Amino acid sequence: MSEPFTRRDLLHKAARGTVLATLGGGAAFLVQKAHGQVVWQVDAARCLNSRLGVVGVEACRLCTTECVVALSAVRAVNEYSRCGRCNICPAYFNITSAVDERGLPSEKLCPRDAITRKPIGKADPEDPANNFYEYLIDEEKCDGCGKCVMQCKEPLGLGSIVLRIRYDRCVDCNRCAISRACPKDALIQVPVEQALRNDGVH
Amino acid sequence: MTGSTKVTLVSLVGEIPCGAGPWPGCPLGPAKGLPHIALLTLFFLFAAIRTISAQSIPYQRPVDEAPQERSIGGGYKTPAVQKPLPRSSWLQLLDVAVLAAAMGISSWLVLKRRSRKSLVALAIGSMAYFGFYREGCVCPIGSIQNVAVALTDPRYSIPMVVTATFVLPLVMAVFFGRAFCGGVCALGAIQELVLLRPVEVPRRLDRALGLLKYVYLGLALFFALKPAAARDFVICRFDPFVDFFRRTGPPHMLLIGGAFLLAGMFIGRPYCRYLCPYGGLLAWCTRLARRGVTITPDKELDCGLCTEACPYGAIEKMRAVRRNCLYCARCYAACPRDGELARAKAQLVKLS
Repeated sequence: MSEPFTRRDLLHKAARGTVLATLGGGAAFLVQKAHGQVVWQVDAARCLNSRLGVVGVEACRLCTTECVVALSAVRAVNEYSRCGRCNICPAYFNITSAVDERGLPSEKLCPRDAITRKPIGKADPEDPANNFYEYLIDEEKCDGCGKCVMQCKEPLGLGSIVLRIRYDRCVDCNRCAISRACPKDALIQVPVEQALRNDGVH
Repeated sequence: MTGSTKVTLVSLVGEIPCGAGPWPGCPLGPAKGLPHIALLTLFFLFAAIRTISAQSIPYQRPVDEAPQERSIGGGYKTPAVQKPLPRSSWLQLLDVAVLAAAMGISSWLVLKRRSRKSLVALAIGSMAYFGFYREGCVCPIGSIQNVAVALTDPRYSIPMVVTATFVLPLVMAVFFGRAFCGGVCALGAIQELVLLRPVEVPRRLDRALGLLKYVYLGLALFFALKPAAARDFVICRFDPFVDFFRRTGPPHMLLIGGAFLLAGMFIGRPYCRYLCPYGGLLAWCTRLARRGVTITPDKELDCGLCTEACPYGAIEKMRAVRRNCLYCARCYAACPRDGELARAKAQLVKLS
């Protein structure tokens, strides 16, 4: 026994059809307009910590404090191919600390001890300037405080350390919380392919 | 090696912060009442020590160019920089697939199986995935803003995954009601779990508060549709529970989230019923739903246990109000004719 098809049913059906058509049409419009993913990126040219001409002031810590994930998605990256591998690295050592018996500053700069230093080849104690050292950043440990970035640039360093975003940690907020706080508008939204190209991923 | 740059530490120390003492351009030091001479002496002593130590070890940058593998020699290999990639498109598709599957399972569990236990299990699973693993992004509630901006701003586009996340639960609602709210939404699940002693909200107050979500929806659209520079995504910024999923957040939001959870122990799902803007959209779609939670009249029994069991005021005059029904299946669980109680009885009968 089937119930009679009433005017109410017809209205219901028509309304449902309209809603579905609207949703479908809207979705189709958005899909044909879709340009793929965009991601947030730190523009090193604008970032206060890596910008030339700003030396010796406290590093800007907003990337550490403002990010919405527990350990900030911003981290310091040492582009090893540009690293000077200096004997006394101003980003590894706190070069204002007292000098110890080896003639090296006694304190490290990184508050999370994320940078390691090891000699490349055999270190010659007589000729410290010509010994090379490898400085590896444990990027998983880094919280992007920017202290090392502030130090590693002209005239002290070669500017090999920059702040970058870990895309595995970034949750890709609609409006990045760091970008709201950044005084230099250094966080920009770019298409994912461009972001990876800028980060040196081919 | 070419000429090296010499920098003394004086230039490195830079400006000494104001708090350290009286300073040109700074207010007087921290203790204004103390004898200034003593402070000044101390300060100059401090400065002198700094200068001496600064002069003793000039910082010297040994190189002007980065040494490369060839110039270093000895088979040295430049280490690789970590380059974590964004979530791959396959995994993003997986999110949409999980969303669709969870909604399907949610409606099957409620409409067919009528099992509250399984539904709670599903809700916990969804909370683990969308809440703790995906850290609350991407979610249909927030996607309202992206969709609105993408529809109006010709230069703004959203990935297909976001479009799908927005549309799927609405399409589901047109056919089966708010299956998304019951077993899929992470924000719903966390509130469902803290609801210990439901208190009935007076119907008129409930209705009035229910209008708030449309006000919130309007506000969210207002801020999202501003020109690009002033655009703000308030739904995401003031999401009360996402900070628990991320286990970090600004103190005021943690406080608000805590307050919602505390209130949620007595008032069933306050965010879903009174604030969730997506809940408002789902409610409208659900009015057209083909199927949904139904309470069928019974010849012998109209006990009203289901009305008592419903913490969301979604059962009026012993009939389910589908647009308010949050798919928790409490009514089925409480029904002596149906659900788990009836099944348990049937088992007892079999045993005896």
